[in-house]
Amino acid sequence: MPKCLVCYKWTLDEQDIKIKPEDLSLDSSRAKGKISDFDRNAVEEAALIVEKEGGAVEVLSYGTAAVKLSLKDVLSRGAEKAHWIADPSAENADAAVTANVLAAAIRKLGPYDLILCGEGSSDLFNQQTAPRLAALLGLPCLSFVQKLTVEGSTVTATRKLEDCQETATVSGPVVISVLSEINKPRIPTLKQVLGAAKKPNEEIKIADLGLKPEDLQPKALRQSVKGFVMQRRNVVYKESSAAENVAKLTASLASEGLC
Amino acid sequence: MNFELTEEQQLIGQSARDFAKEYLEPIAVELDHTGNFPKAAVKALAAHDFLGLLLSGTFGGAEAGFVSYAEVVETLSRFAPAVASIVNNHTVAAYAIQQWGTDEQKKQYLPGMAKGEILGATAVYEHGPTPGVGANALVALKQDGGYILNGKKAFVRNAGEAGVYVVFATTDPALGAKALTAFLVKAETAGMKVGAKAETMGLKGCPVADITFENVVIPESALLGAASEGTVIVTKLLSIASVAEAAQTVGIGQAAVQHAAAYAKQRVQFGKPVATLQAIQTLLAEVASDCHLARLGVRNAALLIEEGKPFEVEAAMVKSFLVRLGSKMLIDTCQVEGGFGYSEFMPLPRMFRDIAGTNLLDAPGDFPEKLIAASIA
Repeated sequence: MPKCLVCYKWTLDEQDIKIKPEDLSLDSSRAKGKISDFDRNAVEEAALIVEKEGGAVEVLSYGTAAVKLSLKDVLSRGAEKAHWIADPSAENADAAVTANVLAAAIRKLGPYDLILCGEGSSDLFNQQTAPRLAALLGLPCLSFVQKLTVEGSTVTATRKLEDCQETATVSGPVVISVLSEINKPRIPTLKQVLGAAKKPNEEIKIADLGLKPEDLQPKALRQSVKGFVMQRRNVVYKESSAAENVAKLTASLASEGLC
Repeated sequence: MNFELTEEQQLIGQSARDFAKEYLEPIAVELDHTGNFPKAAVKALAAHDFLGLLLSGTFGGAEAGFVSYAEVVETLSRFAPAVASIVNNHTVAAYAIQQWGTDEQKKQYLPGMAKGEILGATAVYEHGPTPGVGANALVALKQDGGYILNGKKAFVRNAGEAGVYVVFATTDPALGAKALTAFLVKAETAGMKVGAKAETMGLKGCPVADITFENVVIPESALLGAASEGTVIVTKLLSIASVAEAAQTVGIGQAAVQHAAAYAKQRVQFGKPVATLQAIQTLLAEVASDCHLARLGVRNAALLIEEGKPFEVEAAMVKSFLVRLGSKMLIDTCQVEGGFGYSEFMPLPRMFRDIAGTNLLDAPGDFPEKLIAASIA
């Protein structure tokens, strides 16, 4: 019966983020939080495995103080216990810092048979947490997983690669990152939502993880974030024939190196 | 008073939104065209605990409270108001049984209602001026071991699909409404006949029909509450229902204004999106403001219900506010979309019909205003 841990990220809902037209900066003052999309798939997959094979699902998240807002949501989706690390360092954490913190927490909490992550987060989509975690923990890593089967200690995964599908089998503890097509996350029932408050959650202080200051120092620092706005040229070709219009259009595109 | 939703209430709203996107959005147009009862959606509602939202955990309910209920109804109404109407009518019937039912009645009906195995309905209205009055009034005459019912109820929602009806009848035609009494009548009771489904303007999919009672014999144990307590019960139920109906109107209005705003941003006239024109901005701003203020009114009334405080006047106020402004919201949003807004391939005409259904069918003429006027010191 596998003991599963799902690492998830609490991100801002991108639908609530507005782009300010004057300087293209982002206004997230009214943005609500959500469990990163692919991470929902990871939680769902762990819940499905445990429903079939038995075992347990725990979840772990590292974020700013806002991460606490995620607990009832994630616990309503099939997890039995939540561990959370709230620290200001998460504000500027890159994938290396995130993996350092999560790996240290897993060494403290583990061992786990399956450590699941989403393939990438909704906000940064670096796709690095799972492979970095696996490297730090000395475990094999299965990424881009679109199908997962667990039988005893054998894990069989179908990976969606650029030009083919690969089926891989691993025995023993493994880190897995899943794609969105692996499943359809459940809609928690009202009883699951209300029952989440009764499930245990535990805060882990970052100071208790034995990390060095350099472990929390991001290698890449984000200088700024700006929105992308599509601007229309409002050019209309009014030549007498369609062929002439097409010729003008293609010439215009070619002059800008677009065809 | 805090109008912010708690974390649980927000999550329940999120579940309702995810549910509606998956189960209601794909059927909304078909529902409006066919008017067929959405059996699969109702089954899914039950599986997600929405049909037992207000019921006690003892009977399999979620005990999520009235604020959550209003949030759920508003959310479902953004996608398929007819389904919200089915839920409302079911929930009011279940609430009546939980509130006034005997232990035996609660055990008999509520677990099945929470699971969606038994759909509930209330039969309040008649073709006469008020329930219990006039030639068509439903009369329940006392006889040995029970009552015998004769007459007709009008505009019963969930008619034909419900397993149990909360039926109001006068036990004394001479006293009329003063002897109004509530009964629980099972759908299969002999002599009870559901009429043809009414062709309604909106809320299609939520069945509406008259029900005729011909020598329907029911046992004494079918009495809900005390004899002649019907007016007290129906007044409370209509007030409870009016909060949910107000939430339904807010949901439709919100969906309409969001659709109109999205349209205005992409519709280019005079070289720029019409959303940049002040006349359009005014229309959108007024509808959005009306929705926001009405939502606060709904939450206020819902919170009073949860806290067991008098809520009837506040419920009447928000209902009355939306009866006046509901149709205007749709006129204004259609105006934003111009000829397209008037076209059936766009959703606003359907929403227009649904908001009319919510405000006309569910709002007995002067009921809210009577309460409000009487409350003014």
